[in-house]
Amino acid sequence: MAAVTFDHLVKRYGDNLAVNDLTLRIDDGEFLVLVGPSGCGKTTALRCLAGLEEITGGYILIGDRVVNDLPPKQRDIAMVFQSYALYPHMTVHDNMAFSIRLHKLPKAEVAAKVREAARILGLEGLLDRKPGQLSGGQRQRVALGRAIVRDPAAFLMDEPLSNLDAKLRVQTRAEIARLHRRLGTTIVYVTHDQVEAMTMGERIAVMRDGVLQQVGTPKELYEKPGNLFVAGFIGSPAMNFLTGRAALDGDGVRLVLDGAEVALSGRAGAAARSRGEGSSVTVGMRPEHFEVGPQGGQGLVRLPVQVDVVEFLGSEELVHATFAGSEVVALVPVASEVKVGDTLDLAVPDTLVQVFDPDTELSLDGDGPR
Amino acid sequence: MTTVPVLAEPGALTGSVAPGRPPGRRLRSDLVTALFMGPAAVLLGAIVVYPAVATVVRSFYGRNASQYVGLRNYRTLFGATTFLVAIRNNAVWVIVFPFFVTFFGLVFAVLTERIRWSTAFKAIVFMPMAISLFASGIIWRIVYETDPHRGAINAAVGTVVDAVHPPGLYRGVNITPTGPMHRERDGALVTDQTLAPGTVALVGLTGIAPGAVPPRAQPAVAPSPVPGGIAGVVWRDFSPQGGPGVVDPGELGLPGMHVKLVAAHGTAATATSDARGLFAFPRLGPGDYRVALDASNFRAGFGGVEWLGTRSLTPTSHLGETGRSLLTLPLVVISEIFATLWIWSGFAMVVIGAGLAALNREVLEAARMDGASECIVVVITMIINVLKIFDIILAIAPDSSQQASNVIALEMWRVGFTGTGDFGLSSAVAVFLFVLVVPVMLLNVRRIRG
Amino acid sequence: MTATAMTTTAESLPGSARPRARRRPRAVRLLTRAPVNAVLAAVALLWLVPSFGLLVTSFRPTKDYFASGWWRALLHPATLTVSNYRHVLQTGGIKDALFTTALITVPATVLVVVVASLAAYALVFLRWPGRDAVFVALVALMVVPLQMALIPVATLYGHLGLFGTVAGVVLFHTAFGLPFAIFLMRNFYTGIPKDLLEAARIDGAGDLMMFLRIVLPLGRPALASLGIFQFLWVWNDLLVSLVFLGGARHVPITVAIFSQLRQFGPNIDLISSASFLSMIVPLIIFFSFQRYFVRGVLAGAVK
Repeated sequence: MAAVTFDHLVKRYGDNLAVNDLTLRIDDGEFLVLVGPSGCGKTTALRCLAGLEEITGGYILIGDRVVNDLPPKQRDIAMVFQSYALYPHMTVHDNMAFSIRLHKLPKAEVAAKVREAARILGLEGLLDRKPGQLSGGQRQRVALGRAIVRDPAAFLMDEPLSNLDAKLRVQTRAEIARLHRRLGTTIVYVTHDQVEAMTMGERIAVMRDGVLQQVGTPKELYEKPGNLFVAGFIGSPAMNFLTGRAALDGDGVRLVLDGAEVALSGRAGAAARSRGEGSSVTVGMRPEHFEVGPQGGQGLVRLPVQVDVVEFLGSEELVHATFAGSEVVALVPVASEVKVGDTLDLAVPDTLVQVFDPDTELSLDGDGPR
Repeated sequence: MTTVPVLAEPGALTGSVAPGRPPGRRLRSDLVTALFMGPAAVLLGAIVVYPAVATVVRSFYGRNASQYVGLRNYRTLFGATTFLVAIRNNAVWVIVFPFFVTFFGLVFAVLTERIRWSTAFKAIVFMPMAISLFASGIIWRIVYETDPHRGAINAAVGTVVDAVHPPGLYRGVNITPTGPMHRERDGALVTDQTLAPGTVALVGLTGIAPGAVPPRAQPAVAPSPVPGGIAGVVWRDFSPQGGPGVVDPGELGLPGMHVKLVAAHGTAATATSDARGLFAFPRLGPGDYRVALDASNFRAGFGGVEWLGTRSLTPTSHLGETGRSLLTLPLVVISEIFATLWIWSGFAMVVIGAGLAALNREVLEAARMDGASECIVVVITMIINVLKIFDIILAIAPDSSQQASNVIALEMWRVGFTGTGDFGLSSAVAVFLFVLVVPVMLLNVRRIRG
Repeated sequence: MTATAMTTTAESLPGSARPRARRRPRAVRLLTRAPVNAVLAAVALLWLVPSFGLLVTSFRPTKDYFASGWWRALLHPATLTVSNYRHVLQTGGIKDALFTTALITVPATVLVVVVASLAAYALVFLRWPGRDAVFVALVALMVVPLQMALIPVATLYGHLGLFGTVAGVVLFHTAFGLPFAIFLMRNFYTGIPKDLLEAARIDGAGDLMMFLRIVLPLGRPALASLGIFQFLWVWNDLLVSLVFLGGARHVPITVAIFSQLRQFGPNIDLISSASFLSMIVPLIIFFSFQRYFVRGVLAGAVK
């Protein structure tokens, strides 16, 4: 087991900068999720770590070893591929035994390790099957098994759940998390799915266009997104953004939009105020933070909206409404009894409102992680 | 951007190892490449690439490898009738063969879709692909045998021909009359002298093998005159004791002979001889008559077409030597082409059939392109194959037809490896063959790159 | 080249069932199909008769060949005899030639398969400068007539003492089989997911191990097609053996038959039975591995 460090990693394909100066340290035993939209460089970074790509610049360390020039087999890592990459001509047993056999382990030890991995993953009955005879979930577990028999310094997982159906994905998510707790091995996990990232990662690193955006625990990213991209990417449904001009009057700050105004108070107000009169400001409000037409006004930011669509989700309803020409989405309890065509107030506690500079896209929240 | 915990400058953590592949690893990967690519490279270099270049060089030297002759070998070739014949034959192959093989392939591929036993049909038609061209040549050499008793094609043709024109009872070129008779142009035998009614005609023949006389024949007897008519006998006038022109005891009559009585204005009557060879034309008007044995009596049966002969299908007798060598189209070449169609049609069928299968499944537009491209594949493949054709000619054509059905690949071998062997000239032939396939080579390279 | 499309699509020989678009009444179908069935039956007969003629001829004494057509023997089966075969196999020449053919064919096939698989691996899975250029060159070499090499190789073999030896013929066949073989294997290998090799690399396999344990087992269908194609190509060859083994003591079956060809009629007993013997192995292969065979022949016909 070992820590993994990316130190100013650069990977270039021709003119295309796939990974741009990535610096990131993953602690020993940590479960880190690299997340971002497709093409953001997360998979490339992982492949560089695995030794499948030659890096253009910077350093990669596993433990305190620079592995830049080491072939994959000397890096002491195991990887789970999106396609699982099971050897189709070998049995489950042979798939799992392949690597440790190559390392010339005694036969008995190979058998024992495979048996142990199979037991952990519930594959005991399938050892003689070929991958073609397995279900998607079983194949996925074999891929995991192939990784864990090696007892490596780190697991690299490249979208290992994306080929599973929704139900199985939820199940396997928990299984991998359990596996991590049990084995305590460092995991670098790549996904494009922020739900997966939020639920599994101890820390999450968000990437975009080859550049690392923010690293933090799921809670940090959720509560204090460092920029507009992270704010919009983390959380589902996505955060609502409203951009307007700050109007200072007395103690208060108003956000002036096309034909509407919002009074900003508290921390949000202070952040907007610091930008100065007439400057443009983007505020972000999470759908799940809205309440419908609450009494009292202290510490609330209110949006008078017109309801367009209501989607019933069971315990909650997703309300699509219009405010000053932009769409606002709110997740509210069914008990709110919102109907299409209603005009009502959606309110958010001002402590939960995020404020961004629309030009730099950076968070203006003084408390945010800078 | 913002929130990244910066880890100092590059390398600060790790010392000063410069990134990039270290020389040791590069060397190792080059070694691996050499290990995998090496055997193929050595074999191809030594046995394909180097010799191909050497052949080009060699073609500028004479019989003796040290004697530079410039373009003389090429001049010699294009001045030689045998080589012109080879080029002409290859041209015929290239023009005729790909077209017909594609045609057969297409027809079979379309038709097999409509039968239940298409698997069996395809297997049967494809089977010749497994056999060597040489063995196929031998198979067809038997099929093409000239004698209808041996060659299946001539047997089949002969059955039809003999049904339309039945052969005579008395075939054989040696049949000659013992009396004063002459042979007409059509093969009929006619008495020299005219006969008047009331006389008899003695028509003796020799040169008929004992076995060729029909079994129902009985000893011949001299005919009795018929008043107002002409009687006669036709018999096998061959007896050790007797003389010619006389019906001797023991000589057999020739039954079933078609006899004609010819007057000045034409045939006056016909008759057929009986078992003793007797025939009669009763009740004739006065006049001079001749007795004739019809040509059909002697007509030979179908003797067989010389499929592997050199008879030309194009009239070239009026041409000079060069013209003849370029424009003659010997039957043997066509026969060889047909035999080769038997071999390759299955290939064309399956290739085009694969295209057709796609045609059924895919969108019509795209598929139409597909079907067309499969045909082009067949045509190109066949052009290459036909340019290099060799074994089939060696196997099919008898020695007497080898010259007439010569082809370039065969000429290369003959010039270089038979007789005294002229490697210079032979190399020139090989280079010529190579030049012919260069367009296909370029086409392939373009496809790979495109 | 042409082979790319064919290796993937042309497996249609083993009766490809495809859905019929529209169904007409049975009677109408029968009526319209009758002519098609008749025509194809005639064609099938035309395709069978020549080979069958050779087969029957090979069981007849030479004097019968001169006396009557082989089809007459079908009416008098008693006139058929195995004496031609007995004679041919006892006197040694043909038996020896069959053995020589096998002695050439088996190593030439194995060598091509091994060498081509290795090279194709290098072309697909290894990164090295000039790789693409080498591939284009291979495509170009595919159509080079082997006549272009006969004379220099004959000279070379003369120096090396390989002229007139089976080894020389084997090497020649191997070399001229390679461009197509590598092409075929490369096309197949490009279909192997790169993930598999990356997984193996991470699992600790070197290139040789990946070749032996992953690529070779997965390439088995292509190897089978290639092997069968090359086997038949070499087994059926006349020209190469004629040039390099023309005067040698041990010649393959095609050359042995060729040397009897001048006396086609009188030697028909020997020629027909030996020819049929030479066809047996290819026919067995054809009927037992039809699928691979068709694929191989289709892909390889561009040679």
